[in-house]
Amino acid sequence: MPHDHDDMFEADNATRAGRGPVDHPTMLSSCARAATAEEARFRVQYPNSLSRTSRIFALDQPAAEAMYAVTEDPWNNAHFLTVLANGTITPGTASRDIPISHPDGAAADLDAELAGADVVVLLATDGSSESAAEVIARECFKRKIMCAGIALKRGTSAGNMDQVVNSMRKFTRVLVVAQDDDYIPAMLAALQA
Amino acid sequence: MLRKEINELLTETDVGKPMGEMFRQYWIPALLASELPEDDCPPTRVKLLGERLIAFRDSKGRYGLMDEFCAHRGVSLWFGRNEEDGLRCPYHGWKYDYTGQCIEVPSEPEESGFCEKIKLKGYPLIKVGDVLWTHMGDKEDRPPEPIWEFATVPAEQTYSSKRWQECNWLQAMEGGIDSSHVSFLHSGGLKTDPLFRGAKGNKYNEADKKPVFEVVESDGGLHIGARRNAEDGQYYWRVTPWIMPSFTMVPPRGDHPMHGHFWIPIDDHNCWAWSFDYHPTRALSPEERKAMEDGYGVHNQYVPDTFRPLQNKDNDYLMDREAQKRGDSYSGIWGIAMQDASLQESMGPIVDRTRENLVSTDNGIIMARHRLRKAVVALRDKGAQPPGRTPEHQLVRSAARVLSPEEPFGDAMKEDLTARAGVKQTSV
Repeated sequence: MPHDHDDMFEADNATRAGRGPVDHPTMLSSCARAATAEEARFRVQYPNSLSRTSRIFALDQPAAEAMYAVTEDPWNNAHFLTVLANGTITPGTASRDIPISHPDGAAADLDAELAGADVVVLLATDGSSESAAEVIARECFKRKIMCAGIALKRGTSAGNMDQVVNSMRKFTRVLVVAQDDDYIPAMLAALQA
Repeated sequence: MLRKEINELLTETDVGKPMGEMFRQYWIPALLASELPEDDCPPTRVKLLGERLIAFRDSKGRYGLMDEFCAHRGVSLWFGRNEEDGLRCPYHGWKYDYTGQCIEVPSEPEESGFCEKIKLKGYPLIKVGDVLWTHMGDKEDRPPEPIWEFATVPAEQTYSSKRWQECNWLQAMEGGIDSSHVSFLHSGGLKTDPLFRGAKGNKYNEADKKPVFEVVESDGGLHIGARRNAEDGQYYWRVTPWIMPSFTMVPPRGDHPMHGHFWIPIDDHNCWAWSFDYHPTRALSPEERKAMEDGYGVHNQYVPDTFRPLQNKDNDYLMDREAQKRGDSYSGIWGIAMQDASLQESMGPIVDRTRENLVSTDNGIIMARHRLRKAVVALRDKGAQPPGRTPEHQLVRSAARVLSPEEPFGDAMKEDLTARAGVKQTSV
């Protein structure tokens, strides 16, 4: 319920809703008043996270082109992988049979790439690789890996975009429809890839 | 994570700062119209984008917004006399009209024309709805007047409030597009708040605590869709529009009024959190208006005669640990608005984004920062006007709807997400 105005605190001795009287002096850093610039300098500065392992999969050739533009950036522990168009992939394809490669063309193994991964990002520009998305997402689900998707507009038609969004929606917990390729590095940097 | 220099780029809004210049491209809410209720009423101090200003309403009902301090000796014009078409400094009688032009310097011969050489920096102040809006940028680049739906429906259909939030505008605004916090922080309010409770859609929220998100760029900003499971394999969508730089709307619930926010920088460490409720097709009921005035929904209670929330950092936001334990309130803080504000203020005046650990469900925030950065840089480097200034970008609504799995919300809800005069909101 709303508080009566009479209930408003007066100095440190007010009776607060649901609390007993505060009858002791309170240090600045022991109350919400500490949200000042001066107090901010006392925030603990030790690292608060370990580096993450990210795997980025380009599901089609235009997506791979967009991805290759950023692979040379200084990422933490990110691998950039391309699903090759020369293989026939169905939803039933075993993970070991998914044809994927590193940017230098070397073949990669999906199981090995997903081992220890924290986050997987799928990039697509059309719906042609729905089966590959399904296999990768299935493996992520089995391994409890967060799977996110970016649908890149890249001037594609509305119909094509619907197709890619519909295909990726089934497999990702987060889906972004981005106008421009420059969202890829922005998102990866934000996720500390 | 955001690099330090980008954090500074997006959070600093004083004159000459790139983000400050970007805010100056828009009509922004400056005051509630009720703060200047009648001709020749007392002037009001207001600080916006790091500038201390004085607002007044002259004898002819014209609104003025200008430098707070007299050009003569630097006296605050809040002490001034609002009389006969101008605001007069009580120290030596210098008088200014609603544009900031000095129109009288009693100590100088009238024929000298001295006063014509004196002009305080002034900004236009216009009334649209129950809000007074200002444009603090160049006159040549002034956008069309704002046409946000909440401000253009009849007066009996809308209600606006504002509160002082003691942190940078960006972290406050990011709360408005952070759909994933709702299932936790605001979970108690769905059952109890008179402006939320009773909607059919609430049961989907309660049943599915792990929504799936879709972030779709729009011309004016973003649409952020939160998807939960509904009956028969269908999806319950709640879609939040964000229009640059700082307008958001909360997806509606049942026939409750729709609500949303603007976050406007006061200075780099403070902002105005503007909150509005409106119904597109009917008057607000007396009960709804009373609930808003009492601080329910997105509104709040105040320290009397101020815009400072009653629950604030000086009283630990009246934290109620028993309510937290009982589950009446997930955080122990009463009210949606202060649940958000208490946490956002606790982050510090400007949160250090180099130390945050964002996850995939933060993509709405990541994309908003990305869009803001691009727009700021384009304005700074190329003079490109940012999105969100034009009527077509402002004719937006939030919406909630149940769709089949094949339907992208962007297409299926296109009309629902567009403000249409006389058409009821799409809600569940």
